[in-house]
Amino acid sequence: MRTALKEYKVGTGYDEVLGNSGQPTSAASELVNHLNTLSLSDVKELQKNAEATIAQLGISFTVYSDEGNIDRLWPFDLLPRVIDAEEWKQVSEGLKQRLKALNLFIEDIYNDQKILKAGIVPAEIILSSKDYRPECAGMKLMHHSWACICGTDLVRDDSGSFYVLEDNLRVPSGVSYMLENRAVMKSVMPDAFRDISILPMNQYPYELLSMLRSICPTDTPHPEVVVLTPGIFNSAYYEHAFLAHEMGVELVEGSDLVVGDDDCVYMRNIDGLQKVDVIYRRIDDAFIDPEAFNPDSVLGIPGLIRAWKAGNVGIANAPGCGVADDKVLYAYVPEIIRFYLNEEPILPNVPTYLCSREEDRKYVLEHLEELVVKPANESGGYGLLIGPKASQEEIEQFRQLIEDNPRNYVAQPTLCLSTVPTLCDEGVEPRHVDLRPFILQGSKSYVTAGGLTRVALVRGSLVVNSSQGGGSKDTWIVKKEGA
Amino acid sequence: MLLSRVAERLYWLARYIERVENTARLSKIHSQLMFDLPKSVKLNWYTLVEITSNEDYFDEHYDARTEKNCMWMLLGDRNNSASLISSLWWARENIRTTRDSLPREAWVYINEIYLYVKDNIDDLQVRSRRNALLEKVIRTCQAISGMLMGTMSDNAAFRFLMMGQLIERADMTSRILDVGGYFAAQEYNPEEVEQYGSILWANILKSIGIYFMYRQAVQIEINGNSVIEFLVYDDRQFRSIKYCANKMHELANILPNSREVLKVIKQLQDLIDQPPEMEAGSTTLHDYLDVLQLKISAIHNACYRTWFYPEVEAVSGSVQ
Repeated sequence: MRTALKEYKVGTGYDEVLGNSGQPTSAASELVNHLNTLSLSDVKELQKNAEATIAQLGISFTVYSDEGNIDRLWPFDLLPRVIDAEEWKQVSEGLKQRLKALNLFIEDIYNDQKILKAGIVPAEIILSSKDYRPECAGMKLMHHSWACICGTDLVRDDSGSFYVLEDNLRVPSGVSYMLENRAVMKSVMPDAFRDISILPMNQYPYELLSMLRSICPTDTPHPEVVVLTPGIFNSAYYEHAFLAHEMGVELVEGSDLVVGDDDCVYMRNIDGLQKVDVIYRRIDDAFIDPEAFNPDSVLGIPGLIRAWKAGNVGIANAPGCGVADDKVLYAYVPEIIRFYLNEEPILPNVPTYLCSREEDRKYVLEHLEELVVKPANESGGYGLLIGPKASQEEIEQFRQLIEDNPRNYVAQPTLCLSTVPTLCDEGVEPRHVDLRPFILQGSKSYVTAGGLTRVALVRGSLVVNSSQGGGSKDTWIVKKEGA
Repeated sequence: MLLSRVAERLYWLARYIERVENTARLSKIHSQLMFDLPKSVKLNWYTLVEITSNEDYFDEHYDARTEKNCMWMLLGDRNNSASLISSLWWARENIRTTRDSLPREAWVYINEIYLYVKDNIDDLQVRSRRNALLEKVIRTCQAISGMLMGTMSDNAAFRFLMMGQLIERADMTSRILDVGGYFAAQEYNPEEVEQYGSILWANILKSIGIYFMYRQAVQIEINGNSVIEFLVYDDRQFRSIKYCANKMHELANILPNSREVLKVIKQLQDLIDQPPEMEAGSTTLHDYLDVLQLKISAIHNACYRTWFYPEVEAVSGSVQ
């Protein structure tokens, strides 16, 4: 039998299944045993089942294009990624540590600014950030929890070590797809879940709800929680509806909410107005309150910031928390951890050059062909330069961009991302992946068992974003027998 | 409680599901008539256009009143906002945007049937395959109604679903009766109507899915007057206008701020309680059904003013 993995050859870097040695890693050995019972055509059949399940369940995301918005089915690859549970424990601790420090940082920035006074982080980086909101000055939040929900992107380099690539602290997406991937997997590969000890992740929505309740600023015994969405045309609308459904709370749009003269937030119900205590917002700061920020926004709720500052409503993630979601600030996170927690960072950063620093800029401009250059404030993988794959013209274009606005650019060495066996047209081949676990911080901290693995479906490509043709995989945190 | 916006979408969701089911039944039964009636009775497909009040759209977009055209307009025409495929799309859209208030199966069932019809839309052009497809649609709609009954609480969300279903149902029943009566009176010569009348009326009952219940309840031969009696005044028949009106009254009674809605429902109930003398196929019947339809539409408008777009009084600290 031509088994699915028989002709699988790893690429140049670290492989999540075969490691560096070409032998299954200890976390992957049971998966490999399982896959060795399947032929390539079996795997193709299972992949088809998975795609049919996704269509039936209507798991989709919205893509913006010239032809208008299209609802696309969620791209999914059957072959999972595996991580050892012991290793994951360490990663989780590192993630919690990081978010805790970042939250202390945000609160400090809007209050005493000790870290700026101590000269650890240059003040102009903060003051020039487009996500710094002077309106938040003086606010202190329950549990110092500003970024209550964080999606941190992790990668492994060719040695197999995890690095933090970036922290998404504003309105990170993807957790619903992480959960849906698992549901699809359980339906098409049930045997694997019987044979292998895979940590569950389904409890995320309850953990999310409990975190949201814990940030209620008033002493209401039963806080009313809502999810605030920009509406059905948003690319993550599917996720907004999914999370509201799983938590059993209302999914509201801006026009459903109103702020009263008493500075409290209400939603418009069939029997009048009902008070809202906690808002999980999925709208960017700039659009959340036309009274405080963008006056043209029709998505937001006039007066929301007033209500928040009066301590009548909790908002997750809190307005202004994006100040820590900046690729320039990212470079300072290890220092931030040391400053607030007096601990050594558990998870390393990818070395990062800041174009605003003269010395770094000089190095970047001389080595553009080797580096990945990123704008400080973009998401979705847009506006990147991947040096080794870029044309001379693109490199010159970035040289100009950096010289014009050095504050807006950072550069990192091109990492050789780890690979995972992936079903491709020609058979099973290695494809690059990253990983986005989700971290919650309210009265306590929580990290998902695994995360959303995104995979670059094009051979050799490093671009994993679903809006740019990337796919996804289920992520298994595997507990070994006797461990 | 329940957001006004969500209440509105749930209400429409139920209306669309009911509409999809009724449209599928209507088309299927009309096709069945072909097998029952002699060739001399020429089946008028345009009746379907009239039942659903699509005359203007049809005359503008189609050149001949053929089976193919009438069926396509009613079922597969995406540009016709009242077609089966459009109603399915709207039902799906309304679930998509209220998914957080409904059991997950609601989304899965509707999504599945929408995709199925969309992928097999050409089947609607072929009589034999059309019926199989419509059968599947009807069955799914029934499964959704049953599933909602079996898995939801008797909460505000459920009551708005019920409200939408009842209004759509009452409206559809009155339309079918209206055209059925018209059909019986004017389309054919009296002898033929007499000869085949029972088949026509039986098919009308079947098109709303209550033939069996009628048979149980009414022991006489099937005729127009007894069908009207059954579909308008029977207070135990789930699809009769009277039953729908009574149920709406019960629902409105337990929904908040419903004074105005109750008032209009009462007007509909009064009309049903004091019917004029009339025969199947008479203009009196037609006029009476017309007034019933206007009352149903008035209830719809009252729901909007009361729950979906209420004028919110100036917000102040006194709320709650």
